Amino acid sequence: MLIALAGNPNTGKSSLFNAITGAHQHIGNWPGVTVEKKEGTITFEGKKITIVDLPGTYSLTAYSLEEVITRNFILEEEPDVVVDVIDATNLERNLYLLTELMELTDRIVIALNMFDEAKKKYKLDVKKMRELLGLPVIPTVAIKDKGIKDLLHACLHGYFKPKKLSYPEDVENRVEKLQRMMENLDLKNKRWHAIKLLENDSEVRKKFANLGRKDILHEAEHLRHEIEDIYGDDIETLIASFRYSFAHGLFHEVAEPLNVGGVTITDMIDHVVAHKIFGLPIFLVVMYLSFEFVFVVAAPFQDAIDLIFNGKTLASGQHINGLIDISYHWMASFMPNWASSFINYGMLRGLAAVLTFTPIIMFLFLILSILEDSGYLARVAFLMDKLMRKIGLEGRGIISLMLGFGCNVPAVMSTRALKNERERELSIALNPLIPCGARIQVFAFITAIFFKHNQALVMWSLILLSMGVVALLGYVYSKTIFKGKAEPFVMELPPYRVPSLKGIFIHMWEKSEGFLRKAGTIIVGAAGIIWLLAALPWGVQFGGENSYIGQIAHFLAPVGAPFGITPESIIALFFGFFAKEVVIDVFYVLYGTKEALFAAMTPLQAYSLLLFILFYTPCVATLATIYNETKSTKFVLFVILEGFALALFFSFLAYTIGSFLGVGG
Amino acid sequence: MKLSELMPGETGVVTKVAGTGAIHRRLLAMGILPGTVIRVARLSPFGDPIEYEIRGVFISLRKSEADYVEIDRIIPLHMVPAGEKVRVMILDGGVNFIRNMGSIGISPGKIIEILSPCCPMRVRTALGEHYVGKGEAYRIYVR
Ligand SMILES: Nc1nc2c(ncn2[C@@H]2O[C@H](COP(=O)(O)OP(=O)(O)O)[C@@H](O)[C@H]2O)c(=O)[nH]1
Ligand SMILES: [Mg+2]
Repeated sequence: MLIALAGNPNTGKSSLFNAITGAHQHIGNWPGVTVEKKEGTITFEGKKITIVDLPGTYSLTAYSLEEVITRNFILEEEPDVVVDVIDATNLERNLYLLTELMELTDRIVIALNMFDEAKKKYKLDVKKMRELLGLPVIPTVAIKDKGIKDLLHACLHGYFKPKKLSYPEDVENRVEKLQRMMENLDLKNKRWHAIKLLENDSEVRKKFANLGRKDILHEAEHLRHEIEDIYGDDIETLIASFRYSFAHGLFHEVAEPLNVGGVTITDMIDHVVAHKIFGLPIFLVVMYLSFEFVFVVAAPFQDAIDLIFNGKTLASGQHINGLIDISYHWMASFMPNWASSFINYGMLRGLAAVLTFTPIIMFLFLILSILEDSGYLARVAFLMDKLMRKIGLEGRGIISLMLGFGCNVPAVMSTRALKNERERELSIALNPLIPCGARIQVFAFITAIFFKHNQALVMWSLILLSMGVVALLGYVYSKTIFKGKAEPFVMELPPYRVPSLKGIFIHMWEKSEGFLRKAGTIIVGAAGIIWLLAALPWGVQFGGENSYIGQIAHFLAPVGAPFGITPESIIALFFGFFAKEVVIDVFYVLYGTKEALFAAMTPLQAYSLLLFILFYTPCVATLATIYNETKSTKFVLFVILEGFALALFFSFLAYTIGSFLGVGG
Repeated sequence: MKLSELMPGETGVVTKVAGTGAIHRRLLAMGILPGTVIRVARLSPFGDPIEYEIRGVFISLRKSEADYVEIDRIIPLHMVPAGEKVRVMILDGGVNFIRNMGSIGISPGKIIEILSPCCPMRVRTALGEHYVGKGEAYRIYVR
């Protein structure tokens, strides 16, 4: 048996899906698009039931991907039951989608979700609603697992005799006329097709054009104009009005509002939080505190994982063995050294890198889930929209960019919140230019050595430069390669809610697990390749000047010269591709002490190197994530080229101007 | 006038939703239709987008989107001071509500005079003097 969950965004569909399926779920994409598809299987009353979470939609037009996915799924897969998840606190608007669903299928069960909150707002007559609709209506509270059994029971044994919305006679006549013209077509649900044709629905028109039925299209066009003439408005407004008056009528039949005119808590909070003047400073404080939290909590986990696997090299140069070292020595006792080295210093080190990424991904997603589920994210979108639009993104784009300062991996993953495909791609293309925590760590290390007296100034110059570049590129990209037509931004500002722990943990787990599974293999693979370049020909110092990478760096030395970049730096950059913070370790290995590093470069060369590190290719984990999110190798190559182009440009500029002026030399 | 011209705190009733394509359809799906009552809740820091309350829900519209919506300005009855004469425009409720209000002479197009302010409000209609409670005054819109 197949059950599909449909409903407006934010009605608790995902919560209901989680409540029904528990841990038995699978997340993927809808074929060919990046809209998430969730599927789960359960056994209820001895029956195997598959449940699909459809994308949240307000209507079923042909204008958005989500809406087309939803209606095609219902038309083509013919689920046994469609559960319309309705936010009972917002009944009237939610009933609009129901009128559309009822035109698609008869087998609908209504989940009257958020019933706990709705009870405070209205007196609801569920029984009357059942009678008026002729469909099962089940009150549910998804976050408290309430009403789930009743809901499933209704799906299996419900009584479906829907009392459908009928349009005024002038319209019904014309629908029937079109239906009659379709009589000999092999087409399910002719009434729905007829209505959609009258509505001038582009997808359905295409379908009829493909069937070679121009006659039906012409007739529909003619009938549409007749209706528009009779009622004196455009067909879309008319049809929407008919549906809404049904929703409006039903709503007032079953809901008796309590305490009209009262001020809600949400309104009071928004009075401050979404305030014209206070809103932005509050947002900055919230983000700052969130980051503090993430770093304070995640850092010990990351350090611990790093210590356990990689051990530690003390300032004195003495090395304390980690798991990888221990495992290397153990394996070397029964297999060739090179094999043990490959397994441990290649693959296992890759795995360790994947694991060290995990805490920060988990905690950033923890924050993101809290922001989203509490309703604050929608306020951020509201506050930031005008500003972000200048760089071609909607207000929510700010979140992905800011997460980038933590780690580009979850930041890129978080672009899913952007509904618009073009904006998502733009956001992904800009994200790696934001210096992540690891890069900032490297900056701190290098600036502390070379710019003792104005470290803060140099750090800020890098961060501000990256923000300037993101703003400028965003502006240029949105006018050129990521140009698109305006899409509706119309967004709901849901009431503030205390997020449910379960929802947050499921979200956190989904994202981290997705990263480990999908990006993990790519990262471990890359670690293997890096080992090959650094350890071969066998017998050389790992990453030393005789290794392949050392030879490449030597070969590239003339290329680095105009930028003031030394062969040792090239080796460090090469390892930094794997994970940016590794640059620090490599410098230690190559130079031994900070003093030696200080002696090896002028401050100008160091600054040029910093600029290079700021922009050159994102790390493997970020690239793997970008690939997962876009499924496009071309896009990944684009991001790499973009990074190198900026890195070369700015290093060259800084080094040339600096040399010319004779500063920092 | 255009919806985007309405000031924070003011209320309007939609007369037309212009435009074509995705934005037009989305506005309609959100329930912004001729006859819908809509109130400006607040402006964002840069004055765009704008938050509106409609059918008990808060939504955010960009100015460019709100430009598609034509409205007439109206006032909820509870905000009208004593002594004013106003014309009833909209009764925002179900059939029972509309019937009850009709029975005391409050229906669209009728002129009523406010005798004492909200709430309860005392009003004079063609059918005599009546009290209007808070729950009702908030759902009657006048001009
Ligand atoms: N009070 C209450 N909150 C709920 C209920 N169901 C979901 N929520 C909350 O509503 C918000 C949106 O839920 P979500 O499942 O993400 O909705 P979706 O966008 O439709 O998938 C979350 O903050 C949930 O915790 C419910 O029955 N009662
Ligand atoms: Mg969801």
